[in-house]
Amino acid sequence: MAIVTAQKTPDRQPPLSETSIIGWMQKNLFSSITNTILTVITLYIVYLTVKGIYIWGFADATFVAENRRECYNNSLTGACWAGVIDWMDNIMYGRYPRDELWRINAGGILVVLWMAPLWMSKVKGKIFIGISVVMLYPFLAGYLFSGGSKGLFMQVMVSGAIVAFIANMLNMIIGLTKNQSLVQFLLRIFNQNNASDKTQRNVILGIMIISFLAIFLWQISFNLEKVGWTQWGGLFLTLVIAGVGIAASMPLGVILALGRRSRLPVVRVLSTSFIEIFRSVPLITVLFMATTMFPLFMPDGFVLNKLVQVIIAVILFNACYMAENVRAGLQAIPKGQFEGAHTIGLGYWGTMGLIVMPQALKHMIPNIVGNFIGLLKNSTLVSIIGLFDILLMLRSISRDVPWLGLHREPLIFGAVLFFILCFSMSKYSRHLEKKLSTDNKS
Amino acid sequence: MTTKTQKSQLSSAASNEVIIEISKMNKWYGDFHVLKDINLNVHQGERIVVCGPSGSGKSTLIRCINALEEHQEGEIIVDGILLGKNLKNLSHIRTEVGMVFQNFNLFPHLTILENLTLGPIWVRKMGKAEAKETAMKYLERVKIPEQADKYPGQISGGQQQRVAIARSLCMNPKIMLFDEPTSALDPEMIKEVLDVMVDLAETGMTMIVVTHEMGFAKTIADEVIFMDEGDIVERNNPHDFFGKPEHERTKQFLSQIL
Repeated sequence: MAIVTAQKTPDRQPPLSETSIIGWMQKNLFSSITNTILTVITLYIVYLTVKGIYIWGFADATFVAENRRECYNNSLTGACWAGVIDWMDNIMYGRYPRDELWRINAGGILVVLWMAPLWMSKVKGKIFIGISVVMLYPFLAGYLFSGGSKGLFMQVMVSGAIVAFIANMLNMIIGLTKNQSLVQFLLRIFNQNNASDKTQRNVILGIMIISFLAIFLWQISFNLEKVGWTQWGGLFLTLVIAGVGIAASMPLGVILALGRRSRLPVVRVLSTSFIEIFRSVPLITVLFMATTMFPLFMPDGFVLNKLVQVIIAVILFNACYMAENVRAGLQAIPKGQFEGAHTIGLGYWGTMGLIVMPQALKHMIPNIVGNFIGLLKNSTLVSIIGLFDILLMLRSISRDVPWLGLHREPLIFGAVLFFILCFSMSKYSRHLEKKLSTDNKS
Repeated sequence: MTTKTQKSQLSSAASNEVIIEISKMNKWYGDFHVLKDINLNVHQGERIVVCGPSGSGKSTLIRCINALEEHQEGEIIVDGILLGKNLKNLSHIRTEVGMVFQNFNLFPHLTILENLTLGPIWVRKMGKAEAKETAMKYLERVKIPEQADKYPGQISGGQQQRVAIARSLCMNPKIMLFDEPTSALDPEMIKEVLDVMVDLAETGMTMIVVTHEMGFAKTIADEVIFMDEGDIVERNNPHDFFGKPEHERTKQFLSQIL
């Protein structure tokens, strides 16, 4: 009886319920009478909902009309999308001058092109791309959107941004076609690829300075027409507020979180009270404070425009939430990691920047993206203090004479738009989580 | 038996130069008096094994030597530098003193090679190519060069601990501290780590090892220190320490562990 089976048992196919769709449905949807009844009822409700939406939103809907009267003449039971379509430019760009809309589109295309190489595995120098998009793009976009005459500072920053963008694009093309970086390519052209580090650096620096000067001289010759911030609006304004808020609150949040965990009591108390105060006040209060109270504390004659005040308020408010997310991530890092870093001689910033933050950020991705989504949605609150963001634009449709009383369609359109934006952010964060966790099985 | 740990006692590499000087050192955790009036001199090239029951303060002692823990009274002088609040001294000491932990404390988000080159590149300001070369040299010495591109989570505990040893060696330290390096390992992996440590001892490195591996202590130690309740109870060469322990507490400890 010592041997239980003399032969190896051969592998068999799994039962039907594990592989086929019908098997799965039998097991999960129709396993018992109650389950079957529930399934049928649920499917019927889903059917009714989808049918209702389809008839109202598509079958009976009016897409082309001059005004709401025409919509009603066409069909009483369908949606009147014509109003939304008629107002589409307003919803997207607000009251931005119609001849200058290309500037907003160009700004959008620029940032997409600028960041695209970050997702291409063949392209090198991703850190520089990431830094340049945060440090230089805002100046270029800011000038593109607002225009007017450039001060010296803006001239320098805009030229720098243009040079960086061109270099970035060339780097991307060379990376994709020749699988090397722009620097390597330039060195090969000038026959310097075997020269010493110092000569190589000088050559690259020289090329950079020459192209910077060329761009600088070129950009002096033209100025874009000035567009005041009061004309900004729609989805564009929402994205500007949310985008700047996201980009700036992240580093500020990290600093606040580090401050809260600092050993220095003064830094700790200041950071903690800042976080706690801003977190216990609703955003709308912070926005009112920023626009009505803030000017009272400023010296006479010092006028900060309302948009800047609002953006500052959003950044500070969001940085506090971000700080708490970062703190949670930091607390998940075991003490041994700090000790390991100390024993190879890393100081505070080295330990944080090289060891702790990269690991903590990975834990924080779901919370941070959740925060970004919240910020994007919260930014519609600025409509209450009179900024013509997307929400206020959508609501204005019902006050426009031809579309008087048209509430439902614009708001549903806004909801769908926000859903698409937020859902894609959330999907991307899932993807990012998965990617980072397979890189590193621990 | 061919294992290195079974070989006869290594010859001593200790010189006359004192590299660690601890005098009248006291440490408290809150009210708890962990280390009591510790006096200890370690010479260059000396290999010391510290043993004792848990809670006796042996880990705390070596953690004080590279300033992971702050001591409250007395003096610790490492390589001529007085440990204290001076931050510059602190980072200097930590680069001179390597440390290996019970739980390895490798950086899970970096590859083995990046774990090794991080210190040389960022602290020693070494070039990347040179740092990589050094790292590969030490990985070969701990006999796992083929694992260089894996992540710590993908290799065994014994291999992780050997990487941790190599990581410390990459900083070219003068002293190596080991805090129970084999306690978290499966029995069949202990030997591979001990072999690496014996190899290291043969190069004349100054080593302080907290361990319960008495076979290892017999092979490499110049001196064995027995600690109990914050005191250094007995200090002797391994032959006499294991052959004829003097103190009652030492005898009791050895009878339980051997």
